Amino acid sequence: MIATTPYAVTPVWLTNRSTKETVDAELWHSIVDKNLADWEAEWIPDLQRRLKLLNQQKVERRFWPQSRHWDWRDKLREIERRLANLSFAIVAEDMTQAMMTIDLTKRARMPGHEGQHLVYIDFLEAAPWNRNDVAEEPARFGGCGSILINAAIQQSTQEGFKGRIGLHSLPQANSFYANACGMTDLGQDATYENLRYFELDPDSARSFIEKGKGE
Amino acid sequence: MSKKTMTLNLTEGEMAVLEELCDKKDLSKTVLLRQALRLYQRVEERLERGDKLFFEDEASKEKAEIMML
Repeated sequence: MIATTPYAVTPVWLTNRSTKETVDAELWHSIVDKNLADWEAEWIPDLQRRLKLLNQQKVERRFWPQSRHWDWRDKLREIERRLANLSFAIVAEDMTQAMMTIDLTKRARMPGHEGQHLVYIDFLEAAPWNRNDVAEEPARFGGCGSILINAAIQQSTQEGFKGRIGLHSLPQANSFYANACGMTDLGQDATYENLRYFELDPDSARSFIEKGKGE
Repeated sequence: MSKKTMTLNLTEGEMAVLEELCDKKDLSKTVLLRQALRLYQRVEERLERGDKLFFEDEASKEKAEIMML
């Protein structure tokens, strides 16, 4: 049974990409039923509309958003009662703008940190209208990715993992994790669909937070 | 999330292992035990599904099944 209210809510701010104005938003500590309803009723139809456009524009499928098959209801059902997994959502203007699930049982691979615990980001996705890679109009709100990375770092610090985080990146997001987040690219992982694996060490995590990213 | 406190009685040997692991992983006792509970729950879930738990030697690819009681 998916919860109807989040455990906690933290105020955060997104940027309206067309007006450059700051928009009040909330970071929900746990994905709840409302977020899944938004995903089902708003994200999916919007994504389908954009996929149709990409198809009409003869864009090759390999350039379509790689997260298009993700089923957040299934993902939440899978981790619902697990102590090792947590979830987060960003809500602004009464609409879910991004969601993330994390795993607290994974270990670091980066030389010098091997075997240390970290927060592993299982899934992170912004609503289709907040993405630049899904055709049509430019992204509506900016900052979703940074807010969720910030949340993962905060959780890592709270768990005693010193801010370490790790994730496998879909190709379209490689540059965001490497350049915007300062994560180290540890190369393609043959055991995980050949996706590139990235990690953030404690120093880089501190630097990310000190720069005020994702606040 | 609200938290509850409990007292845990350990033998000297158990406490020594706990402290050794905490040193090695640079974690507090609470964090380490919380991690242990998370892992125990995850393993139990997989075993209930009928999965088996293995350790694999990376070089030889040899697998050793862990017996779970």
